[in-house]
Amino acid sequence: MSEVALSSRGSDGKSSQVQGGERRLTPLRRWIADAPAAYLLLLPVLVLFAFAVVYPLIQTVILSFWDIKGLGKPKFYGLGNFVALAQDANFRQAVTTTLLWTVSTTVISVGAGWAIALLCSLAPRQTLIPRVMIFAAFGVSEAVTGYVWLQVYRGNATGLINAILNATGLGAFAHPWLGDSQTAIWCAIIAYSWAQTGLPLLVIYAATQAVSRNVIEAAYVDGASAMAIMRYIIAPLSMPGVRVAIFINLLGSLRAFDTIYVLTGGGPVRSTETIGYFMFRESFTQFKLGYGAAATLVLLAAVLLVSIPAIIQRTKVTT
Amino acid sequence: MTTKTFAASGLGIAGSIGRRALLVGASAAMLFAFAPQSFAADPSGELVLLNWATGNEADMLHALEEGFVKAYPNVKWKEINLTTNGDQRGAIRAALQSGEKADLFINTWPAFRKELADAGLLKDLGPLWDSAKIGDSLSDSWKALGSTNGTLYGITYTYGDRSAMFYKNSTMEKAGITTQPTTWDEFVANFKKLNDAGITPIAIGAKVWSHGEWFESMYEHLNGVKMAADLAAHKIPWTDPSVKNTLKKFAEMLNAGCCGTAQSMLAMDWNDAADSVWKTGDHGYQMIGMWNNDYAQSVHKLKEGTDYSIQQFPAMGAGHDNVSSVDSKEFSEFADATNKDAADAFLVWLTSADAANIIASHGLASPSNKVDTKLYVPVMQKAAQAVATSDVQFVLGDLLPGDLVDEFRVQLQKFIQDPSDANIDAVTAAVEAKAKTFD
Repeated sequence: MSEVALSSRGSDGKSSQVQGGERRLTPLRRWIADAPAAYLLLLPVLVLFAFAVVYPLIQTVILSFWDIKGLGKPKFYGLGNFVALAQDANFRQAVTTTLLWTVSTTVISVGAGWAIALLCSLAPRQTLIPRVMIFAAFGVSEAVTGYVWLQVYRGNATGLINAILNATGLGAFAHPWLGDSQTAIWCAIIAYSWAQTGLPLLVIYAATQAVSRNVIEAAYVDGASAMAIMRYIIAPLSMPGVRVAIFINLLGSLRAFDTIYVLTGGGPVRSTETIGYFMFRESFTQFKLGYGAAATLVLLAAVLLVSIPAIIQRTKVTT
Repeated sequence: MTTKTFAASGLGIAGSIGRRALLVGASAAMLFAFAPQSFAADPSGELVLLNWATGNEADMLHALEEGFVKAYPNVKWKEINLTTNGDQRGAIRAALQSGEKADLFINTWPAFRKELADAGLLKDLGPLWDSAKIGDSLSDSWKALGSTNGTLYGITYTYGDRSAMFYKNSTMEKAGITTQPTTWDEFVANFKKLNDAGITPIAIGAKVWSHGEWFESMYEHLNGVKMAADLAAHKIPWTDPSVKNTLKKFAEMLNAGCCGTAQSMLAMDWNDAADSVWKTGDHGYQMIGMWNNDYAQSVHKLKEGTDYSIQQFPAMGAGHDNVSSVDSKEFSEFADATNKDAADAFLVWLTSADAANIIASHGLASPSNKVDTKLYVPVMQKAAQAVATSDVQFVLGDLLPGDLVDEFRVQLQKFIQDPSDANIDAVTAAVEAKAKTFD
């Protein structure tokens, strides 16, 4: 490593030596000189992070090694909770449901958000109101989303879907949507995806707006049709936004709970029980805190599995 | 010698404080000596209640608190209110684990009482029952209902008839049903009348838990309360013929067109089922706890007697028709209660005529024999009469420990989806496998 001069750029744009031209710092001495200030500035965040993330995480890890049933005396259980999880058919079903849920909600919400963003990019001004409306749904809490869609899916004639089917002569297709193990999971997926579409729309739309006008105009001058410009220029260049949207949606849907709690309560027959719901049921309904903590750590591992490669990739891009 | 000395000494004191004061003191001593309470005659200080009651029950609770303060003016109430949705046990556990300190709390789950008692958190109320002669107001059956493994931990203050089928008069009129069925055969025969009128006979909300009600009342009527208690305690296996035969009877009811499709049942929670009885009239009967009485009045503005009523679960002719499934609410005292005197005084006062009448005037049933039954609303009079003349069994769902109750309800959902004999074998085997993990 060669020695570097510690310099700053003045308002006139010219570089100037901080301590005079004769003073040069080794990387180590530079690090020593900068570190206290850097860590002092980071301290509030580090304290908050330690209090809100690290401490609960350590507690969760400790809890996962204990067998706790209700208010009974805890017993040290080692890895027993993890072994029990692996043998628990309900947990295995929850893992399968979580995979289906995560992939489906991400594909639907990012796919819909991407499609709408591309359409909106063709007429930014005219689509302002629809964009705001779709994004507003993202601001609605998941529980409220659940209650809204509960009215849509009601099994009797007062449910919106069944009312529309009855009114249009398609009453034969009216159905207790949330009472059927086959349809309940898809109903919950659609409800959740509806609420989540706003964020991909916003992120991907921003990416489309970053596409240079010159490139689009050049393509137009070269005789490219609107469809071709969309397919070969805007869509590929919006991919960074799509990747960010996929990452955010994957993380959110892995942790999803509220919508499922309100819409189906994990049923019928546990058909909509994700790991997040399983964790809630074991921890807060059954109060098996050790077992619930073990499930939480499995969920955390899944979240890290998704997020670490993405964080590494984003870090490489930005440094 | 010693006695004499004390007597002389006492007289000496009497002489110095005067005859009137002596009479007052002696009277007070007599009153204190013959008073049934084992707690201080004039409890005082703050009495802390861990409360999760809401709505009408919270109103009643506040009226009870006021009534108690009238009797014991030096006591001041403090409530730690838990606000949560769904099963309240999680909130109570969280409050206790986070260090909340209270003297009393409300409980309605015998399985939860056992959990708390096993953890050494509850006070044995047996000595209080004896010393305060609570048995003069509450029968031994309520003592048994408030006990775990023979030790009394809860003083029951209200109960509900869980074998009561609610119905709306206009719905029955629409189906041409003028008299309510008292036997199983009459009940099933009415399904056709109701279906022909476009009414699904029974609203079973199987989304979460209320589908268990029908199995439980059916089981008790077919096998008696003793077997029901044994099943709850896992003294008999879930694969026992008594369970399978009950499910087969349940299957007959489903196949007779009682309840619509499995999906429609699984899509409804108890309140959806209640709405379909009270509001739309899509369903005929609902069997659920007595809180439905309050729900019909407060939410749907119906008048009991004129708009709706209840009918007790029909006789099945298996020799066990004099049974009722019940739930109850009780006050328990924490072992580490700070204000034990006031807590004891409240538990004793709770069985008095004053307290019982406050409970009755809020539309709820009191187990105290001092209650003025004229205060009961008509539906409650019917329910109280039915319970008073029956062998009672606590509702099964609140007796099962831990996640056995979850498994029981999920397997019942599976049964509703497929009520075949083969599936009955499968679901009973699954519940039995889970029950064995608690032995």
